[in-house]
Amino acid sequence: MNVIITPVMVGQVIISGLLAGALYSMVALGLSLIYGVMRVINIAHGTLLMLGAYTTFWWFRLLGINPYLSLLVALPLMFFVGMVLQRTLVTRVVDAPELSSLLLTFGISIALVNVAQLTFTSDVRSVEFLTGAFLVGPFALSKSRLVSFAFAVTISLLAFWFLQKTKLGKAIRATSQSSEVAMVCGINVRRIHLYAFGIASALASAGGSLVAVMVAIQPEMGQVYTFKSFLVIVLGGAGNYPGALLGGMLLGLVEQLASLFLTTQLSEAVAYVLLVLVLLLRPTGLLGGRAK
Amino acid sequence: MHDGHLLEIRDLTKRFGGVVAVNRCSLILTPGKIYGLIGPNGSGKTTLFNCITGLERRDTGEVFFRGERIDGLKPHQVARRGIGRTFQIIRVFPELTALENLLVVTREPFEVAHRRAQELLRFVTLDGLEKEYAGNLSYGQQKLLEFIRVLMRDPELILLDEPAAGVNRTLLNDLLAAITRLRDQGKTILIVEHDMKVVMGLCERIFVLDYGEKIAEGPPAAIQGDARVVEAYFGR
Amino acid sequence: MKWAIGVAFVIGLFLLALYPVVATGYGIRFMLQLFMWVALAQSWNLISGLTGYVSFGHVAFFGTGAYAAGILVTKHGWHWGAASLVGGVAAVILALVIGYPCLRLKGPYFAIAMLGLNEVMRVLVSYFEGLTGGGSGLSLPTLHASGQIYYAMGVAALAATGVAHLIITSRVGLRFMTIREDEIAAEAMGINTARYRLYAFLLSAFVPGVVGGLFARDQGYIEPISVFPLLTTVTMIVMVLFGGKGTIWGPVLGAVTLFVFQELVWARFLYLHQILFGAIIVVVVLLMPKGILGILQDRYRLPRTV
Repeated sequence: MNVIITPVMVGQVIISGLLAGALYSMVALGLSLIYGVMRVINIAHGTLLMLGAYTTFWWFRLLGINPYLSLLVALPLMFFVGMVLQRTLVTRVVDAPELSSLLLTFGISIALVNVAQLTFTSDVRSVEFLTGAFLVGPFALSKSRLVSFAFAVTISLLAFWFLQKTKLGKAIRATSQSSEVAMVCGINVRRIHLYAFGIASALASAGGSLVAVMVAIQPEMGQVYTFKSFLVIVLGGAGNYPGALLGGMLLGLVEQLASLFLTTQLSEAVAYVLLVLVLLLRPTGLLGGRAK
Repeated sequence: MHDGHLLEIRDLTKRFGGVVAVNRCSLILTPGKIYGLIGPNGSGKTTLFNCITGLERRDTGEVFFRGERIDGLKPHQVARRGIGRTFQIIRVFPELTALENLLVVTREPFEVAHRRAQELLRFVTLDGLEKEYAGNLSYGQQKLLEFIRVLMRDPELILLDEPAAGVNRTLLNDLLAAITRLRDQGKTILIVEHDMKVVMGLCERIFVLDYGEKIAEGPPAAIQGDARVVEAYFGR
Repeated sequence: MKWAIGVAFVIGLFLLALYPVVATGYGIRFMLQLFMWVALAQSWNLISGLTGYVSFGHVAFFGTGAYAAGILVTKHGWHWGAASLVGGVAAVILALVIGYPCLRLKGPYFAIAMLGLNEVMRVLVSYFEGLTGGGSGLSLPTLHASGQIYYAMGVAALAATGVAHLIITSRVGLRFMTIREDEIAAEAMGINTARYRLYAFLLSAFVPGVVGGLFARDQGYIEPISVFPLLTTVTMIVMVLFGGKGTIWGPVLGAVTLFVFQELVWARFLYLHQILFGAIIVVVVLLMPKGILGILQDRYRLPRTV
């Protein structure tokens, strides 16, 4: 392959990588929350993202208003959906072996994806809202990517502020460390599980709302994001919330860099190989999280 | 290096993050004795067991078994060399029957293994329950099952982690009698225990850990009178 | 009692062997697919039911076998029988390549790694277009062999069940199960769990590979989406969970029940059928984790090796 790689190309790739990475970070933070607080492996995470994307799509289709405003509706809606899922189904496998939560969330994912197929049909949808790019020097910054970056960063920082500074956030972090100790300290652990899943669901769907403007929307779109979220968690360390942020950025960078040297198809496989490699070499994540 | 030592631990240290669980611990076991390992909660006893059996990787130090270095080996390799152990929280295989729990751990031909398993079941009067799922047995029965499961491989060194916990008096006496018989057959046993009566009555030599360090070692009488041991348990 | 069941079983086999003589084309294809699902379910059970390491990407072995056999038949003129066997071997090789690193991972991480395997296989198949025909698929030379494939699939199903029986009633199977029950205790008792995990995984890949090859021959045409669909893995999982994982006849029970229902009731409603599968998984995990056979085992005190 004879491609001459210029510094501008590399710069472009780094920028694109960071822009994409912020979104991965935000979504993965949700997954990390669920695992950290409940030790549940949420295979349905990408499905929640998909639901967020469809919310934005229908908002735009039916109301014609700025799709980014749909976040105001999608976030609380999906927060609620997340809580419902937790309360009715997930809570029953919290203390069960991890195998059960794997299978359960897998089943939920399959069911929800196909409900989406039935109700929304498998026609590929899209939201044509923000196209084109800003030209900054030699670099082209896709407008939609930039806006999504801004939102992702804002939401992630909000989530962090919440975890660090608010009472509920601290309770969540305490429960992640040790649910027994949290209980002894008077924290209603069941309630924490509820909120954590709700927040995680909202984070995932926010990701969906943001990508709705950029990619094709269809019921199976979530799967790849589930997988990438796992990869981010593995990179950053399970249950390590700041790690999720860095892991996301790292994934974004690696993906874009890979696409420079490989075909787009193969660069998808890069995420996979990366996952296996990291799991083998540093199972506690590059930044060190809880071992398993 | 062997010197008739069955197990030799030299300067073993194990850290978990900032916490030092085992701190430069050294001890020697000679064959055919019952040893005790005591200390307040969190003093590193189970961690020490884990380091011996390969479940944890020690940070520094060495473990020798019959003169051969075994630290760094995988747990199943350690087990194959003749060290057996039980766990603080019972770990039987719940969805396997009692008999299957025993058969699965040995590679001997079926006839031999089956006979041996039956003998052991009779030994602890569990022989009516061989077809029962281990998960359905009572706590005491599971404890006995875990105990004889270790014996299926006929290990030279047996590590027992709190064998008396949660066990009623009658059962306990049977267990202690069994341990004594094992010692008489030439086996070496190291017991972690909190029940002082059991330890003082059964063990010939006792090691005391506190905050991961060995603070005392000797026969029961010496340990009972040792000021450091009393301080470790009762006052700080 | 036991010999009565044995006799019934042999009669049943006999009838199944004679079936193609009286059946319609549809009937043969129906049974052929049923056998295929029995074989697939049994294989998935070997790794996931016995060792507890959930393989979410098992269809990768099916697809690999399909492509390996398909390529041998189209490009090198092999007979589909031998080609399918090679398909099985190809699947085992893939299992070795994937399994060796991935099985070192703890259960949940293994499951995640397997989840992505699907995608990777599809990407690889598209990439090696010259060999596999890429997105446009692979067409096998026309051959009407439904009858023979019926028997081949039947043999596969029988073999898979036979192997399951051998393993579950032996100490090897017990060792597989200790991995599911308590790996730490198993290791402490001298069982090399890493090695047994690998054995189970390799074993569980062979039959799907063979069956994939047979499927390719039967369909006459394969493309990435037809042999690597997530639905195939989901179906395997539902069948085993519903019937009873870890048992010998659970996968058969699950395969027969769900396939019959699927074909007769909801095959025309593709999405509804998948929603139902998802719902069944949820229900089984929450309410009947041992599956139908497990419930029967508890109720009627049946042995573990049923």
